[in-house]
Amino acid sequence: MVEFTLPKNSKVKKGLTLKAPGDILKCQVIHIYRFEPEETQNPRLDRYEIDLDQCGAKVLDAIIKIKDELDPTLTFRRSCREGVCGSCAMNINGKNTLACMVPLSDYPEDITIYPLPHLKVIKDLVVDMVPFYQQYASIKPWLQQSDPGSQSDDNRDIDRDSQEQQQSIAERERLDGVYECVMCACCSASCPSYWWNGDRYLGPAVLLQAYRWLVDSRDDQKDQRLDALDDAFKLYRCHTIMNCTETCPKGLNPAKAIAEIKKMIAKR
Amino acid sequence: MPKNHHPLTPHLTIYKWPLTAVLSITHRLTGVFLIAGVFVFFTVLVALASGEAVFLSVQHFLNQGPAQIVLAGFAFALSFHLVHGLRHLLWDLGLGFEFSKLRAYALWELLVISVLTGVALVLI
Repeated sequence: MVEFTLPKNSKVKKGLTLKAPGDILKCQVIHIYRFEPEETQNPRLDRYEIDLDQCGAKVLDAIIKIKDELDPTLTFRRSCREGVCGSCAMNINGKNTLACMVPLSDYPEDITIYPLPHLKVIKDLVVDMVPFYQQYASIKPWLQQSDPGSQSDDNRDIDRDSQEQQQSIAERERLDGVYECVMCACCSASCPSYWWNGDRYLGPAVLLQAYRWLVDSRDDQKDQRLDALDDAFKLYRCHTIMNCTETCPKGLNPAKAIAEIKKMIAKR
Repeated sequence: MPKNHHPLTPHLTIYKWPLTAVLSITHRLTGVFLIAGVFVFFTVLVALASGEAVFLSVQHFLNQGPAQIVLAGFAFALSFHLVHGLRHLLWDLGLGFEFSKLRAYALWELLVISVLTGVALVLI
């Protein structure tokens, strides 16, 4: 449902200011959204001042530095620090991205960091991803092949499990720009349609994954997959707003994938 | 006091809208405006068909400042909805999704919309 304002318990209050000890030569101000689940207070926006000369290159380095040196209670997800795990997805100066991918030098002014938009906060920058993963599971993100026994005259299916399944170069190329998705949810959390209807609309990330299995030449459940997607909410809440493609930190194109799914259904 | 459970993270107010998103919401708003405009349009048509006296008073009314502003808004809404509607048709064909060109396409749209609105303003 469309709700332009935040619920009362979600309004962000002014927070604390913490400065790096000693003389700061190259000051960077970073505001970070904080929420403490063990307290009754609303979320707040804390202000940190760090020395860029004493910090690594990426925004994630700055956040880790703040946790190490200024406030050990600051909580966030991170793992690979090179854009392949998708853990450190957050909203940096109004755009969802992976904190490990963006250099601090991209931001000449203050940096403001919020969790991914329109999700439930667990603590600080950690949001509840469970509904997102449940939606992912709902599209059956694995290779599906009909039971070989039911197609006894089809030699192709004999000993499928024990044989290599080859793809032509063209078939393999269809997965390029699709398989690279790391499910960081930057795109889904950037989509106003997903904000208002995230309980029923699958969102760009999950639909990109649905497309990934639809175009896999080894998967033979295309019709069933399309049947499951042909729904006013699951698929057609995409209004081509394009925030997903604009924000994807991996440079992928979920909007294009969704359009291709719509075309597949229209052509049936 | 009970603990504050799972607040909702900020969304609309903190998200930096790309130009494509601005065009998208404007498309929807102009659509609503045009639907409302259809009723006004038919009211005016009926009034015009009701004889010379009504014709003259409607004509006088439409030449006033406020009505002119609404007419200009109508010209813009029609131009916008037409152009972005065509863009949607191209998208439905799977065309025009290249990330590197999204902004350029949006700027082209705005240019065409400005020209169309300008022409419509001259005509009314």
